[in-house]
Amino acid sequence: MRYFVRRIFLLLAFCSLQNPVFATVDDAISRALEAIDPYVKQGYIVRDDQWGGDLAVKEQKAIPHTLFKGNDYWFCMGTDVDNARIAIHVYDSKGKLIENDSWQKGRFAAARVQAPATGTYFIIVEVLNSPKERTTWAMVYGFK
Amino acid sequence: MKRNLTWTLYLTVFIGLCPSTYGDSPPSQIDLSKFPATQLDDVVVPLPSEVFNVLDKLGTPNWRGELRMPSGSSRGARAQIALLLGSVVAEGFVAVEAADKEQVKKIGRDVLELSRAIGVEKTVLARTNLIVTKADAGDWIAVRRELDGALTDVKNAMIELKDAQLAHLVSLGGWLRGTEVVTSVVQKNYSADGADLLNQPDLLKYFQERLATMPPRVRSDQLVSRIQKGLDEISPLIHQKITPASVKRINEVTGQLVKAINANA
Repeated sequence: MRYFVRRIFLLLAFCSLQNPVFATVDDAISRALEAIDPYVKQGYIVRDDQWGGDLAVKEQKAIPHTLFKGNDYWFCMGTDVDNARIAIHVYDSKGKLIENDSWQKGRFAAARVQAPATGTYFIIVEVLNSPKERTTWAMVYGFK
Repeated sequence: MKRNLTWTLYLTVFIGLCPSTYGDSPPSQIDLSKFPATQLDDVVVPLPSEVFNVLDKLGTPNWRGELRMPSGSSRGARAQIALLLGSVVAEGFVAVEAADKEQVKKIGRDVLELSRAIGVEKTVLARTNLIVTKADAGDWIAVRRELDGALTDVKNAMIELKDAQLAHLVSLGGWLRGTEVVTSVVQKNYSADGADLLNQPDLLKYFQERLATMPPRVRSDQLVSRIQKGLDEISPLIHQKITPASVKRINEVTGQLVKAINANA
């Protein structure tokens, strides 16, 4: 019996090692593109470039970006991790929340900014909660 | 005592449920100096489209008057070709604004030629073909998209080839020509909104830092060294209120640098 239990443990350990890493940045990019899709239909031009990586729960990342007054931006974030919750918000160089709109739906999140002045802004991404230790994420943006 | 304990328990549970960082309702103000987030990049370099999109809304400048005939020659040092490639792509945006089909098609071919000279031709072949066909069709939005895409593809290809320095020079070449155009347009019809487009101190600092950290063989290049000095001159002008006089000076400096990029190529 003891031998059987040990074998089961070894098998489980082996299986856990054999699990493919489903969470990839490519999958997260697909989710981010999914999040921005409705805005493409509204005339936003999506930049053919992505930002991404992986974050622990409550860990944040700041992406500095020069935004231009007169442009209307949507920054969209996605993750492929089921049951994860993520968030994205935009602050100006003085640390003031500047977004005109934002939403968060599980593994998708977005923030809209009509830059009040041209300058550097900080796009802050965060994993609010996740069943995984590290959560892959990606961000894309569009403007019009 | 029991009541106090119950309240303490409630409070503990409530605090435990509160997000430790902002989540559903982010704080309206944060102290960036104490902000715990790590920074992903130095700064995201905007696409030329983002600038031209704003220029579209500022009026109808004489775009044909802004058009230049960039040197499409692929001779010269790799640093010069990279700078030229960026400035040629920026010129493509001016040609789109001017709705000049022939010039856009020539620029598409030049982008291919210059990409070939630095070994990233295959990356942009499909894009440059599309630039030509979309220009023929007068689909200017698509041409802009392909020009943006060509710039991104070239930079990514260079990074893959472990040549990030050249990728930065491509961006810088585009920024210099773009800034020359913006200042020229703003100068002719000055407005605070137009001048506000130049408020890019962090982007300029980013380019200055990239140049400063380049290998000595690149930094000692006469053209690169001249650009470094030019950026140093522009920097204080961008770090203060942008006046008509500073717009004029930035236009002169960037114009001279773009000329130097095109010289003897």
